Amino acid sequence: MDVLINLAHGFSIALEPMNLLWCFIGVFLGTIVGLLPGLGPSATVALLLPLATQMSPTSGIIMLAGIYYGAKYGGSTTAILLNVPGESASVVTCLDGFEMARKGRAGPALGIAAIASFVAGTIGVLLLMLVAPPVAEFALRFGPPEYFALMALGLSMVVLLAGRSMIKALLSMLVGLWLATIGIDLFTDGDRFTFNRIELVDGVHFVVAAIGLFAIGEVLANLRPADGAQQFKVPKGLRNLLPNWQDLKDCRFAFLNGSLVGFFIGVLPGAGSTIASFVSYGLEKAVSRRREQFGTGVIEGVAAPEAANNSETGGALVPLLTLGIPGSATTAILLAAFILWGMRPGPLLIQDHPDIFWGLVASMYIGNVMLLVFNLPLVPLFAQILRLPAHILYSGILGISIVGVYSVDQRLFDVWLVAGFGLLGYLMRRLEYPAAPLLLGLVLGELMENAVRQSLMMSNGDVSILYSRPLAATMLLFTAAILVGPMFRQFNTWRLRAAEQEA
Amino acid sequence: MWKTLDKSELVTALLLVALGTYIVAAAWEWPYMTADGPGPGFFPLWIGILLVVLSALLIALQVAEAFGGKPVARTGWTGTRPALLGWGALVVAAALLEPAGFVASYLLLSTVLLRVIFRRSWTSTAVVGVISTAGFWGLFVKLLEVRLPAGPWGF
Repeated sequence: MDVLINLAHGFSIALEPMNLLWCFIGVFLGTIVGLLPGLGPSATVALLLPLATQMSPTSGIIMLAGIYYGAKYGGSTTAILLNVPGESASVVTCLDGFEMARKGRAGPALGIAAIASFVAGTIGVLLLMLVAPPVAEFALRFGPPEYFALMALGLSMVVLLAGRSMIKALLSMLVGLWLATIGIDLFTDGDRFTFNRIELVDGVHFVVAAIGLFAIGEVLANLRPADGAQQFKVPKGLRNLLPNWQDLKDCRFAFLNGSLVGFFIGVLPGAGSTIASFVSYGLEKAVSRRREQFGTGVIEGVAAPEAANNSETGGALVPLLTLGIPGSATTAILLAAFILWGMRPGPLLIQDHPDIFWGLVASMYIGNVMLLVFNLPLVPLFAQILRLPAHILYSGILGISIVGVYSVDQRLFDVWLVAGFGLLGYLMRRLEYPAAPLLLGLVLGELMENAVRQSLMMSNGDVSILYSRPLAATMLLFTAAILVGPMFRQFNTWRLRAAEQEA
Repeated sequence: MWKTLDKSELVTALLLVALGTYIVAAAWEWPYMTADGPGPGFFPLWIGILLVVLSALLIALQVAEAFGGKPVARTGWTGTRPALLGWGALVVAAALLEPAGFVASYLLLSTVLLRVIFRRSWTSTAVVGVISTAGFWGLFVKLLEVRLPAGPWGF
């Protein structure tokens, strides 16, 4: 009952005209930022931090959080339409989203991304409101061995991202893990695999690799003289540009799966929305009746990662608001904002500053509705991009790619790097090496190495620490099941084939 | 056997063996274990070893298939020329990005794509090139204030 009274109080604050305006500005800016590859929510939140600190803390945090979750709505648009992931968590959306666009279903893909984002964003806020303190305490039980197990679970998703050859998928993942080791080793301060290039000291930026492998690789694979016709089919009529009832029915489990996976992974500091999107995609594929069709344009393959990506926001705010621990770059900037307002988020925030906590929670409900109302009508408009003839579309994608990677750090080196990854992406496509496992390795590599090294430091080199704690052991069992499952299926196929031949 | 072997696949796997060997050799130079725990060589060493083992396994499987005399689906390389041409144009545009600015380098890139690869008319090439370059400049530089390199002529 207290929750409802508090929420009603939160709505009375969030519905004040100025707070509504700041919420709208936040989600609007967030959507725009999400659309542009390279420009992430953390940079935008940082840019608007000085403005936000001039405002009341409640209005300021409503606007900054609006940018944070608004950016996640926008990130899927370029992934679906152009195979350009606007942010790291949108990589998985490319797999089925772009294939849907190829088949003339860009509209339903964009629509389901917006609906999944709305549903999961709302569930994420609901969970933030109801279970924040106990879940935050649970997250604190995650030490390095549990993180290692979580990363192993994430990497096991390679099984589900593999194409025809599992060995090729594993090799692709190992190259990604190697790329993740490039740069300064945080434990010893020495540099590794930097080839005496100062630009590599910070490592390989994920956005650069993703844009090169996916967007430029795709463009290069499609460069051929064309008659000026449009490359993709875009059906006419609003009804065909939005998801139908069957699409929504197909995605009902994906909404729930993405919402829960996204929230609980979001609560863990450092895990982030990228791993949440990979895990929810893997889970969706594992339980699907048409798992062999994943990667060819299945609508659940868009709904699950998009839901996870958005629900993660609610999860990521849990450790920030209840413990004062930021789990990502964006939440670290939000923490800085609280400190500039003279507050310290922690266990007493909800009690001492109910206006801020409940005002923020209520504004996130409102912001999610605003985003749905704002994004769904734009779906048919965005889908028209695919009506462009190939020569305009592909030169435009190369232009966006250059601007996207250059805007990350204003470094020419990143443009060279994206060209290199583009060629690699093209060759991988030709040789049938899947690119998604490489990106999975690149994202999880650093976190996994840190977790292994910290765990073995804790145990003085005794590896049993990695599997002896109950939480870690449970996750490793899941990992083993995911890895061994396909082998059993393969064995069963062989067994049935042999039995048929004998009969 | 040599005839049925997919050479592109073999060369790729050999390159991966070479990469794995390089990673192992580099990691060998760094401490594997320190007094505090695993050193900087620990993780890359295992990555390198696994790369070598798995690529060697891939080679073995390819050779076994070729020995089996089964018709192997070969890697197709048709359409490589325009892809490499497009990639070359991208590399040249990257090289010109700072000395000539974004506008000139993107204009050059779109001209090569439209005129040489897609074989559009000069008029179409010029119209699309100018409009898209102006669009990028207006949206990113003017509206969103993204800092892109400017050439000697100020844009």
